[in-house]
Amino acid sequence: MSYFAGIDVGSLSSDAAVIDQDGRLKGWSVTETGPHSTNAAEAALDAALTMAGLSRDELAFVVATGYGRAAVPLAGKKITEISCHALGAYSLFPDVGTVIDIGGQDSKVIRLGENGRVADFVMNDKCAAGTGRFLEVMAAKLGVGLNDLGRLSLAAGGEVSISSVCTVFAESEVVSLVAKNHPIDQVIKGLHRSVVNRVAAMTGNIGIKPRVIMSGGVAKNAGVVALMSERLGVDISVPEEPQIVGALGAALMAAREAK
Amino acid sequence: MSLSAKARMQFMKDLGFPAMLSLAKATKGKRKPRKANPDFGPPLKCAARLKEIMTRHYYLSRFAPGARPVAWVTSGAPVELLRAFDFYTIYPENHGALCGAQKMGPELCVAAEEEGYSPDLCSYARVDLGHFFSGKTPAGKLPKPDLLFCSNNICQTVVYWYKVLAHRLNIPLVLFDTPFNYGEITEANIAYMKDQILEMIPVLEKAAGKAFNMERFMRLAELSKSTSQLWGQCLETMQTRPAPMTIFDAFVHLAPVVSLRGLPVAQDYYEILLAELTDRVERGIGAITNEKKRLMWDNIAVWYKVRDFSELFAARGMNFVAATYTNAWAETIKHLDMSHPWESLAKTYSLVILNNNLEHRLGLMEKMVREYAVDGLVVHSARSCKPYSLGQYDLKRLLSHRLGIPAVVIEADITDYRFFSEEQALTRLEAFFEALEAA
Amino acid sequence: MSPAQLPSRGDYFKQWRGGGGKVCAVFPAQYPKELLWAHGVLPMEVWDPPLAPARAQGHLQPYICSVVRQGLELLLAGGMDEVGAILFPHTCDSLQNLASLVADYLEPPAPSLFFYNPKAPFAAAAKGFYVSQLQALEDDLALIFGPAPEGAMEQALEWSRRLSELYARAYARRAAGELGVGAAEFYRLLRAGEYLHPQDYIPLLEAWLNEAPAQGGPQGQGILLSGVLPSPPDLMETLDGLDLRVVHDDLLSMSRRLLYPPPGKGGPLEALADCFLAMPPCSTRGSSLSERLEWLGGLAQSGGAQGVVFSVVKFCEPELFDLPELRRGLKEAGLPSLVLEVDVNQEVGGQAATRLEAFGEMLS
Ligand code: SF4
Ligand code: SF4
Repeated sequence: MSYFAGIDVGSLSSDAAVIDQDGRLKGWSVTETGPHSTNAAEAALDAALTMAGLSRDELAFVVATGYGRAAVPLAGKKITEISCHALGAYSLFPDVGTVIDIGGQDSKVIRLGENGRVADFVMNDKCAAGTGRFLEVMAAKLGVGLNDLGRLSLAAGGEVSISSVCTVFAESEVVSLVAKNHPIDQVIKGLHRSVVNRVAAMTGNIGIKPRVIMSGGVAKNAGVVALMSERLGVDISVPEEPQIVGALGAALMAAREAK
Repeated sequence: MSLSAKARMQFMKDLGFPAMLSLAKATKGKRKPRKANPDFGPPLKCAARLKEIMTRHYYLSRFAPGARPVAWVTSGAPVELLRAFDFYTIYPENHGALCGAQKMGPELCVAAEEEGYSPDLCSYARVDLGHFFSGKTPAGKLPKPDLLFCSNNICQTVVYWYKVLAHRLNIPLVLFDTPFNYGEITEANIAYMKDQILEMIPVLEKAAGKAFNMERFMRLAELSKSTSQLWGQCLETMQTRPAPMTIFDAFVHLAPVVSLRGLPVAQDYYEILLAELTDRVERGIGAITNEKKRLMWDNIAVWYKVRDFSELFAARGMNFVAATYTNAWAETIKHLDMSHPWESLAKTYSLVILNNNLEHRLGLMEKMVREYAVDGLVVHSARSCKPYSLGQYDLKRLLSHRLGIPAVVIEADITDYRFFSEEQALTRLEAFFEALEAA
Repeated sequence: MSPAQLPSRGDYFKQWRGGGGKVCAVFPAQYPKELLWAHGVLPMEVWDPPLAPARAQGHLQPYICSVVRQGLELLLAGGMDEVGAILFPHTCDSLQNLASLVADYLEPPAPSLFFYNPKAPFAAAAKGFYVSQLQALEDDLALIFGPAPEGAMEQALEWSRRLSELYARAYARRAAGELGVGAAEFYRLLRAGEYLHPQDYIPLLEAWLNEAPAQGGPQGQGILLSGVLPSPPDLMETLDGLDLRVVHDDLLSMSRRLLYPPPGKGGPLEALADCFLAMPPCSTRGSSLSERLEWLGGLAQSGGAQGVVFSVVKFCEPELFDLPELRRGLKEAGLPSLVLEVDVNQEVGGQAATRLEAFGEMLS
């Protein structure tokens, strides 16, 4: 039996996936990137290998992807997260048409062609609006845990709309809304809406083709997923581990490379 | 043009619209009147008439296709030429202002952004394209144009914007290219503009399906001139203390001179408005009850904030009595002279504020500060509008330096309030108020 | 002739000034360089001076593009203190106002000159008007720098013709896959025309074209590069590093003002007006979208491009307005495209590099 690994070194988290030659997921991990991409990549890989009960020698090929992919010397090849996300999502949902990935620093929308290939994609520009970073800043400002955002948003009775798109402006807007005694959960829902609108505007450029998959850290936030689905008027599927889609895709790329 | 469409349009004009309006009034009447704000004098009676005129204009526009040639026109274009051919004219910028005032800016902008238009583009254009893609508008429905009529005397942006429409609709775009006046206007520029007008006429004849009639053109140009002059006189009433209206009123009452000039209805309207304003001046009625300070506004309105701003300033006894923006439709009409129609039309449209250098603008503003006894200046830096905004930081510095009046810049946008930070603007305004009150 | 032998902007400027040469700083984009040459004036084009933004911030709102910002920065930092004049062509709203801001409010170190390019759709009167603009500029130049000597205009047109040929040759060789150099080298050579006098530039360009290898450049997917200018420089290096082959460009600073039929033999001003009217379609001149689409399609085809990369300067209205329709039309023609928003004074960065790489993966 030969094994393959993919490592996705993002700005916030480094994730790894290990598969066997039939493409079955044997182990995975989600770890913090921290200041050293190389160390983080190795730690993520080792954690995934531990779960799989394997060692590095047993890997036939490793592909690195993500923002820090260049800093992974043990990878035999580097491939962008766009291509890896597409392939990863395709392996989980063979009928996938569109992947919406909202990560810490960037968000992207990928439309798939045949066999998990990229037909078109868009990525956000330099601005933090429409990324996980935006929600992180706001959660900190509101003193709410990042993991509680989704729950609070879903339970909110109403919604306070946030007009600013700029993260800095939105921060001061949020402060003043809270000062005016707007319920925090409703403000949170408004913030989610803002992220959704921003990302949805990107989808217009390439068109939405069902089935739609959401991945990335923000996909764990059920509040965002619900609003996105409402906004786009489509059902959205979220993989069990939305953060490892890129790493999984990279592992599948590794298997292809070895052939 | 089809006969039945013409008949239908006539019917709607004579019977349909009045019927619709009285219906609307009947339902409106049941609403509770808004509580009067003690900071303001009695509201302008004309406002109801204005609303009726503009509603009618937008309402009837949907019956225009087939009955009359329809043109979409930029706010600075020499519309007198189109009037001579009886075009039904739609002003997307006016429509943009309307959407902005109804707080629909972001929604329509997003509709354009979804088609790939950058959020950094002029939001009048984004609102218009957003409307074009989504069909959404507070005006019911806008008629599709047969022709686009565009002049770059306000910006180059309109050329880029109208090019998109021309491409999507596959209709002719007529451009009136007005070379920017870096210094004084030159003979070569005037000759170039005149030649363009002469070239344009056959194109318009073809689009309208009728021959150009010089006599009719001259008559309508005169009408347009007297309308703009009346508008200028309305603005001049604000030189009195207390001023009988505020610039925030003027932003709204500007609509007919922008989009209906050259039609009798606009002229009639300003006659009524002027009479009302003159009467208020005679009776000493001010737009705000306690006019302590008089201010000038630079740039286009912040449409979604007109009401809030007007209350904010009125509460402090501050009244805006002058604006470069409202002035733009009165300032240059004096050049129009039917003894040499083409050259004078060229000058009228080339000498508008945005087609001229910043020294010209500074001089104009200095003059207005004196004539209107202005105590302070509020500069709206409008993200949408580079030709109006680039240079404002220095304009503000020079003006407040030369005239010794306080001035403030607020960063905002004309319709897209996603780029407006209320907190930041209010902080700057507070500091401005303090400076003004100390002055 | 290797790119390393090219004199830098700064060195060349010093050398030229040291010899008592006259200089005119020129803002983007299109202007009749021949008139300046004829007056013995070296045009120094100001596109993307690599300065840290500081002084310009106090004069410009944050929503003004980096080309305008950097140009003003250069002026305020003293970079134009030694020039004899500053020329502002009328390219867009931002440059129009910058011209007036500098001339009217900022007391520039040298007199300002202006040049209005008529806008499309061109009226029949556009040609005559363009000639009148040339005449006016000619008069201004004569006032500042003295009249052009006998025969100087003919000489300037001769240089212009020779350069036209060389540019055309460079582009044609690249499109045919017979120029084995990457984007970084290609644009370093071609951009030297922004500051070298034709007398010095023509031999350099000739030598380079004669010596440049036919093989050895990037081997990957062929792309057409559109946008304002080949900047920031690390964008070119990134493209080369990813092995993407730039087979043609539709850049405002490059092919849109370099590839046009050389001036004819008639009256010099008429000849220049004909050149202007025959330039490739451009957003800033108001060319229609169908013209631009057809042109882009032709460029892509001539070099066998598989995709188009739009490198758009952030806040650049003329480019951003055309973009969606161009992308839509290209897509219908089977050409995918990618948009990068750039600031000329900032590195393109890892995220943009990822997008380019993914675009390459998508095309393969
Ligand atoms: S707001 Fe400014 S840029 Fe936009 S159309 Fe009006 S004048 Fe042009
Ligand atoms: S980049 Fe665009 S907006 Fe900036 S100066 Fe050039 S043409 Fe004008």
